Amino acid sequence: MDDSTPPPPPPAAAEPPPPPTTSGSPTDFLKGVVGKRVVVRLTSGVDYRGILSCLDGYMNIALEQTEEHVNGRVTNRYGDAFIRGNNVLYISAAEPL
Amino acid sequence: MDASSSGIQEPFDLIRLSLSERVFVKLRGDRELTGVLHAYDGHMNLILSDVEETIMIVDQVEGAPEGHATVNVAKRKMEMLFVRGDGVILVSPPSRT
Repeated sequence: MDDSTPPPPPPAAAEPPPPPTTSGSPTDFLKGVVGKRVVVRLTSGVDYRGILSCLDGYMNIALEQTEEHVNGRVTNRYGDAFIRGNNVLYISAAEPL
Repeated sequence: MDASSSGIQEPFDLIRLSLSERVFVKLRGDRELTGVLHAYDGHMNLILSDVEETIMIVDQVEGAPEGHATVNVAKRKMEMLFVRGDGVILVSPPSRT
């Protein structure tokens, strides 16, 4: 190797890399979906579709523009909604990360 | 933290911003409440006043095809109510615009 001509810095230094979609911890996934459209399914089978505002360590969830779906039908709409974490079965990304 | 347009950092902020406002609460056991939120804690124990409780009572009629159960709705009003947090599924504040 010729030390006098070092390689140029990687071009990606100017902007952060996109969040990984195929690796990382569950926490990384959750950080990646904040601000995105998600589907939250409760253990009761009810789905909430909306934009994930934030969540905490108990998996309490704040959603915006929320639609409540029961058996595939919209049964309620909420501008904002707080979901208590113990009811959550899963959080699914509803748009590409 | 990627705070969304409403400036919420954690889910409980949604509840804190709803103090003294009329909120909608979805409870386990097909019950819903609307009332003015006076206090809450980390368990989502709630103190509500001027409360109306709506109870959905599903009667599966014998011989009727599935999904054709009749839903009876019972309502009652309470001046002041303590709600134990573990019964809470969802809390929705009045829509802020």
